[in-house]
Amino acid sequence: MKLLGRTSLFYAAFSLVTYVVIAGSFYFLVERMIYQEVEERLRVERRDFEHYVRTHGMWEESCYFVEDKISLAAVTDTLTALQPFKDTLMDNRYNMQLIPFREHTFYSSVGDGLYKVVIRKSLIESRSLLKSITVTLLITLSIGLVLLYLFQRRLSKVLWRPFYHTLAKAKAFDVSDGSALNLDTESIHEFNELNSELSKMTEKISKDYSSLKEFTENASHEIQTPLALINSRVEELIQERSVAPKQMSWIQDIHESTLRLSRLNHALLLLSKIENGQFYEREPVDVNSLIKSKLLAMEEIFNLKGIATSLTQDGTLILQMNAILADIIFTNLLNNAVKHNVKGGRIDIRIYATQFVIENTGEPLKENPEVLFERFRKHNQSSNSLGLGLAIVKKISDSHKLKISYTYRALLHTFTLTA
Amino acid sequence: MKILVIEDERVLAESITSHLSKEGFVVETAFSYDTAVEKVNLYAYDCVVVDINLPDGTGFDIVEMLKRVKSTSGIIIISARDALEDRIRSLEIGSDDYLTKPFHLSELNARVKAILRRRNFGGSNEISYHELRVNYNSRRVFVGENEVVLSKKEYDLLLYFMSNVDIALTRASIAEHLWGDNIDSADSFDILYSQIKNLRKKLTDAGCTEYIQSIYGIGYKFGVN
Repeated sequence: MKLLGRTSLFYAAFSLVTYVVIAGSFYFLVERMIYQEVEERLRVERRDFEHYVRTHGMWEESCYFVEDKISLAAVTDTLTALQPFKDTLMDNRYNMQLIPFREHTFYSSVGDGLYKVVIRKSLIESRSLLKSITVTLLITLSIGLVLLYLFQRRLSKVLWRPFYHTLAKAKAFDVSDGSALNLDTESIHEFNELNSELSKMTEKISKDYSSLKEFTENASHEIQTPLALINSRVEELIQERSVAPKQMSWIQDIHESTLRLSRLNHALLLLSKIENGQFYEREPVDVNSLIKSKLLAMEEIFNLKGIATSLTQDGTLILQMNAILADIIFTNLLNNAVKHNVKGGRIDIRIYATQFVIENTGEPLKENPEVLFERFRKHNQSSNSLGLGLAIVKKISDSHKLKISYTYRALLHTFTLTA
Repeated sequence: MKILVIEDERVLAESITSHLSKEGFVVETAFSYDTAVEKVNLYAYDCVVVDINLPDGTGFDIVEMLKRVKSTSGIIIISARDALEDRIRSLEIGSDDYLTKPFHLSELNARVKAILRRRNFGGSNEISYHELRVNYNSRRVFVGENEVVLSKKEYDLLLYFMSNVDIALTRASIAEHLWGDNIDSADSFDILYSQIKNLRKKLTDAGCTEYIQSIYGIGYKFGVN
């Protein structure tokens, strides 16, 4: 949930509760006040009534003209406890409608007899007053709450704007760009701190990243010269006639390991160069003719391994690529298809206008397909392969915004390169 | 034939020197830019092998200087950097070849000889070994008077052998010479084996002595035992 949505929700819930509480308590408060007022007037009338009875010694209905104001009933049996004030409903004199009344009941002696006196006062006006007051209040309150809600929404939006700004920039941050986040100075202290911390952090990250890249490249370079020395000395040793066969086989082991080390170094150097964007020159590469020449160059190995190849051209695929990397990616894909093939297997290549598909027969994949493109993921750890071929393929396709995918079905391994 | 090796890594320079000397070249070395400049200006060399990165200068400058004085020396640049720009630049300023470290000494040897052949220093367009003759302009191979028809790879293989007579060639160096990076090394040994088998058969069928000897675990050697 978004920050704005969350605050709005809290605000709305809080407003609703406040609304109900305020409206309820207001209603009861006003009602109470009205009752107090009515009861006060009933008491006054009782006083008037008692005064009248005292001075005249009797009571006449006609003394008052107000509807059903005072009614007397002679008390014949024993006195019971009375509820002095209560609500009641009575018929309207004219249209037989029930109307709310508040009544005051008390005993009083009129002349010689004891009477139960009931004084009633209509509540109809007070009720309608209460109603209109409450409705007015509710309307005002609602308008206030809605306005407040809109105001806080607007306010949140304005206040959090720098935050969203920073967030958008942080999202777009790419460590391989080599530059730190460039964030503006904000007037709000907390956001300002956030921005400066983020700037510092990203600056450190990109610095570390680029120095790491530099280190990899420099280290690879520095390794080349000693490797060349070892190689040349070993080759000289190989020329020696006086070396015993056993020692010669040791020398051969050294020789092959050094070569392997040097190939490994070359491959790692290549990876870091791609990462560093050193192959920035792009040109249109005709994949169809590139593949045709590759197939021709690799004919010997296909024959040797008894692999049948087929090339289906459903279109001409022209990729905007670095020529060297284009050569490497297709060589690696082909080599991979050869390496993991079976004797008497097949390699089928299909080229479409926007897609290159290479499919080879082979043993089922033992690895998780997800890690296939990672470095040093070798099918067979002891094999002579460097385990970098597909990592390089992935790196090249990433750097050219191409999509490489792998699927396996019924002993067929398929790599698809989509422009 | 005089060759100048300009390389600041003394051990490597020494290896190159001793390897090329065995081939009958007169090899001189320069460990720094300054001595290299001095030697280049004083003497004429048939071929100059120059490292790009020198402590007191760059190999490119030496190549440019050689070209300024219209030297006829063949030039091979060796570099630890396998960068395309360097490769292009070295060819643009007029060097004949570019080798990335680490390289096989036999490969360097073959390249030096190829350059010397291209420049026709010997006055002939043939190299021969006993009854075996290779005309490298027409790419034809003869055993005595019999012509042997070789495939492109077999021809390259034979030429590589004939450039490295009596030198033990590792399988890796031959495979790299023939296929470069195009083929995975494990597979290349198998293909190499079948190529050599074919070449041997074609040569001996034409009446050639068996000059290609296998060295167990290492590779092959071309020559009389």
